[in-house]
Amino acid sequence: MDIGIPETEREIEIVPLEEPVPGPAPVEEPVEDPVPA
Amino acid sequence: MSEISIEPVLGWRLWHVRLHNDEHRLESFTMHHVSWPAGSRFEARCAVHRDGAPVHEHECGIYAFKTRVLAEELLRRYTGVRHRYGREYQELPPVRQGRPIALGSVSLWGRILARERGYRAQYAYPYELFLIGGDERIARELRDRYAVDVSLV
Repeated sequence: MDIGIPETEREIEIVPLEEPVPGPAPVEEPVEDPVPA
Repeated sequence: MSEISIEPVLGWRLWHVRLHNDEHRLESFTMHHVSWPAGSRFEARCAVHRDGAPVHEHECGIYAFKTRVLAEELLRRYTGVRHRYGREYQELPPVRQGRPIALGSVSLWGRILARERGYRAQYAYPYELFLIGGDERIARELRDRYAVDVSLV
């Protein structure tokens, strides 16, 4: 991939507070049917 | 002296979408058969500098463009479809059947080397994907696997 000319390169250091990797989606607990009294 | 930030850089890039052991996975666009992991960061590795990538005066690292337009330009160069009816192709060009491609944004962090059109990064993870030449089943599979939004184009 052509991202430009090497001579223009400058360094950035990114230290995220939390890694931007999504965790697995929460699994929804099935709601129990109300039991008739 | 490097600039330090806590916010990941968002770049744009392309991936091949290929089957690995019956699972559709993102694969690096220029490094063949390098599959991107799901649920964990993709880490740059270099045959010379190992996990020291990216390194100045070398071409190692995870590549991304600064804008979506630049990633789309690469897609047009790759497919060879740049003109339609004598004018520049504005839409995304068609890809070969059975060879889907993902265009998308990607979070970049760690050590990053920025040039005028893009970046070489140490760590990356897809942020949002647009699937070209795929179908809803593959989109759902990628969405579940990588836990990111995937839209069909």
